[in-house]
Amino acid sequence: MSDLKLQHLEKIYDNKVQAVYDFDLDVRDGELIVLVGPSGCGKSTTLRMVAGLEDISKGKLLIDGKDVTQMPPKDRDIAMVFQNYALYSHMTIYENMAFSLMLRKENKNEIHQKVLAAAEILDLTAQLNKKPAQLSGGQRQRVAMGRAIVRKPKVFLFDEPLSNLDAKLRSATRREILLLHKKLNATMLYVTHDQTEALTLADRIVCMSMGHVQQIGTPLELYDDPANLFVAGFIGLPPMNLFDVEIRDGQAVCDDFAVDLSDEERNRLAAYEGKTVTMGVRPENVEERGRITVDVSTNENLGLNTLVSGRIGSHKVTCKFRGWCNYKAGDAISVSFGRKHFFDKETTNAIRG
Amino acid sequence: MSFNNDKAISKDRLRFTKNKLSADLILLAIAANALYFVSIYSSDVGSYYYRLFIGGSIVYNLVFMLVAFLSSEGIKNYKLSYACTSVLLGIMQICRIFYLPMKAHKASNPVAEAKQSVVMASGQFTYVTVCLLVSAAMLICAGVIGVLKTTTLNGYLAELEKQGQEGTDDE
Repeated sequence: MSDLKLQHLEKIYDNKVQAVYDFDLDVRDGELIVLVGPSGCGKSTTLRMVAGLEDISKGKLLIDGKDVTQMPPKDRDIAMVFQNYALYSHMTIYENMAFSLMLRKENKNEIHQKVLAAAEILDLTAQLNKKPAQLSGGQRQRVAMGRAIVRKPKVFLFDEPLSNLDAKLRSATRREILLLHKKLNATMLYVTHDQTEALTLADRIVCMSMGHVQQIGTPLELYDDPANLFVAGFIGLPPMNLFDVEIRDGQAVCDDFAVDLSDEERNRLAAYEGKTVTMGVRPENVEERGRITVDVSTNENLGLNTLVSGRIGSHKVTCKFRGWCNYKAGDAISVSFGRKHFFDKETTNAIRG
Repeated sequence: MSFNNDKAISKDRLRFTKNKLSADLILLAIAANALYFVSIYSSDVGSYYYRLFIGGSIVYNLVFMLVAFLSSEGIKNYKLSYACTSVLLGIMQICRIFYLPMKAHKASNPVAEAKQSVVMASGQFTYVTVCLLVSAAMLICAGVIGVLKTTTLNGYLAELEKQGQEGTDDE
């Protein structure tokens, strides 16, 4: 396996539309990096630039220290797994997995051993004589992964591989990808718009928006310490509650409520005294007792947790309470805010100490 | 699964690959046969032998192509009966040389406008004989390869089944 360096990559199309701005990332050997962001943020374009399916307008791409920016895709020693599997429907699973090696004119016996080994890893041995149409979506995606594994590439690229699967299968296949990464210890670049996939799979996440990298960090860093409002709103389900508040006399004050700030928060926000900032509170950090009144509109029991949506005056708010709650629309409940995040109103960057 | 040597791997490969070599040889044999009958029916042989057996020859060619094609599909999936059929078809192709080509070769042409010519000149005779021989050789090769591969695969599968049963018994 190998390390991968994306040095200030940019993608500008012929019509002057810029899809990716200054993408800079060092992927360590054996690391699983997840590119996450909403549709059109440039994550797939970045992946396609790495694969060689899109030209790199600016910047350099290095694999194992070797500049491959201008190298054609076939010479980059990269394997890509697509969302739609891209399997040959007239070939058996065995033939699909062996196909790329046959094109390379490798020894047939060696191909056989590689295919059997990959099939065993992916639990596909019993399916080798079947055609793709006879397999479930999850199995087909495993075949697509198997086809990548047999090549023993330097880098694996996954372009939203679970998007075509139903929720149950997605979760099972996600676990399989995680196990596969552990078994192969391979360098992987994984694109998704699903933050659950990003949080569960990644060693590090690259969060993107409008072609710009918003934050690079471990899943915990992105969840716990978002760099800006976009990351705060994107990572976490349900998303963070955001309120415009004025910092005044040790309190965060808005039209409908005021919350006391801790000493640490006061110090952090000292420069913002008298100014308006954005305060973020994750639904799970809303506590079920306090001085702030929420008018309940919906109560959704999820088993372990309950999602309660409502309003604090004119502000919409979502709370995630532990256990089973039975609030009804129109109920008034008292809450307080636990961990709070603050963001500069103008730059939208997190206000850190 | 671990293998001791290349031979074992080759055997195991048969479980997942089709017998394309035999299947392709049979398709080529059909093509060689097509060259044969195109040559035969575009010559004066048709008018010389415009009797019942030229019709029979046409019917035989159609049946031959159908059976050969079915054999090609069957042999691809290691069906022993189709391998044997392929050998049989090959032998029949050799027999055909002694039928129409041999009879027509150097026979005087009865058609009025072609009085001083023969029904099948030596050049055409050589051509159609080669077509039939090539077709026969391919069918026989395909059949023999099919028989060998099929028996190897069946033996290997029986061996695996036995190993599996022994494994179950041990448990």
